[in-house]
Amino acid sequence: MPMAMDDTEQQMLVQWCMAAQVFTESEFRQVIQRTYNTEEEEIEDIQPVVEQINSSMGAFSLELRSCMDQTTGTRRWALVNTNADAISTGATPYSASELVTLKTLVVGVFTEKMGNYSLSLHDALRIATKRNGTVAGTLTRAETESLIRKFCSDGWLATDSDDGYVVLGDRSIIELQSFFNVGFADYIRLCSLCKEMATLGIVCMECMEAVHPYCANRLMSASAGQLSCPACNKLIPQLNKFGPGERGVPHALESVAGSVRGESVAASVRGESVGVEEPATQSIKKLRIEDSSDEE
Amino acid sequence: MEEESQASERTATDLVRYALACHASGKPIRRENLKTHVLGNTPTRNTRPLLDRANTLLTQNFGLKMVALPSHEKILTNKAPPTTAATKWVLQSTLPDAARQRLELAQTEDQQAILGFATTVLSLVFVSNMSVPVDQLVLYVRKLGPPQCIATAADTRDTAEYASDAQMESAAREAIGYLLRQGYLDKVKLGASGGGEHGAETQATQASQLPTDGGDRHDEGMMYTWGPKARTEFQPLDMARFIAAATGQECSDEFIKTIGRAYGSNITASQ
Repeated sequence: MPMAMDDTEQQMLVQWCMAAQVFTESEFRQVIQRTYNTEEEEIEDIQPVVEQINSSMGAFSLELRSCMDQTTGTRRWALVNTNADAISTGATPYSASELVTLKTLVVGVFTEKMGNYSLSLHDALRIATKRNGTVAGTLTRAETESLIRKFCSDGWLATDSDDGYVVLGDRSIIELQSFFNVGFADYIRLCSLCKEMATLGIVCMECMEAVHPYCANRLMSASAGQLSCPACNKLIPQLNKFGPGERGVPHALESVAGSVRGESVAASVRGESVGVEEPATQSIKKLRIEDSSDEE
Repeated sequence: MEEESQASERTATDLVRYALACHASGKPIRRENLKTHVLGNTPTRNTRPLLDRANTLLTQNFGLKMVALPSHEKILTNKAPPTTAATKWVLQSTLPDAARQRLELAQTEDQQAILGFATTVLSLVFVSNMSVPVDQLVLYVRKLGPPQCIATAADTRDTAEYASDAQMESAAREAIGYLLRQGYLDKVKLGASGGGEHGAETQATQASQLPTDGGDRHDEGMMYTWGPKARTEFQPLDMARFIAAATGQECSDEFIKTIGRAYGSNITASQ
């Protein structure tokens, strides 16, 4: 295990992290090796390096964080800002209108009704055009596509391999965890094996726990090709998938809202009073009101 | 006193955060924005100590420092203003060259293309006694071919191979406009620019406020010279080495003297 980094070595690593923005663990390990300028010892455990950097970066609201690629298991890192106050947002590369559009797209992807954490390109274009259209005049389709491409290039969004769906980029998953926890906790799915956020995978319909595709493959490799839920041990048929292009599994609060709405309709047909709304329905209504106010 | 000291340290830390955010966005750090976002009602007499402390924190933790960008008026006298009079800064690495080379700091292909294009354009201005007429530079850039990542108009970007004369002219002017906005180039009135110790012309400020799209009616008597960002990032000796490498020549003392004559001033090893 190499000794602790000196000041120059740490400065080199921090500058590299800032320039690279999002990088794989393998790339990070190679850079650490070059920083120590030694061929003798292979760096296997980067955690001490991460901890040393984070101990000094914390004062500046910066932190090295990571997320796992949900299909391949590759770990990706980024040096992210942990305090979205006026100081850090005061020098954003985006205009005010672009920021609002980005936020709308990120929230739209994260709260997509079928739990697929994705928007069709058509829906994403519609949202982006409408947002910018209220402030700066109507954008052409080409200009809207260019804006979404910019967000993808900067890592906040991404498109699936066929470019048919817009999903969250690595930077959003790594940097916006607090944002999702505070405002959209009901829409968060964690993989029951690795406990990291899951925006694609398989849902166990017994206990509604999710598993990443990568984690599901690991489980099946260890159990002769059968997939058992890590939470409740029931066999999971690989039908209940969520992700771009999948049928999807609605979040629990969407299901409650659906049943409450259905009951309200049934009750009104029977001539009965609807009663007090469930809290989950109030949350959904708040989100829908925000959406509908844009349409006015 | 301790509370004041802690408050000052917090403000210096916030200065560092704001500087890093500007750096990440590719924007210069502007004095007026520092006042708005960080300093607030901090007395002016405290600004210098806070900037100094922020620079110390930047250097210790990030290997960076704030470097003042020369104002347009000062460019032509080749003198950089003292830090307290500066209105814009950028961050520069303080790492030794050997360390930076070891790191091979990652650049995207677009960033490399833009840097290569900017360096080539600046070298053309450099060997033209630091000033090139507007139309002449447009011609140079048309022949050079600007990188596609700068072109924003769909027709110039997507059909570059078969671009018409008008499209190529438009793409060249757009690329020069990009370098103007980034601060690599400056537009000055004829007779106002030059290397070494040539005199300044106050029209430089007015010229810099002219439209950057190279509109014809404003081009008469106008020249392009190095802008503040070029003066900060490129040194004459580095430029001589680049020209030697680009033309396949040895960067001998004689070569440097020849380049110095084209530049308009001797190039020394300390530059």
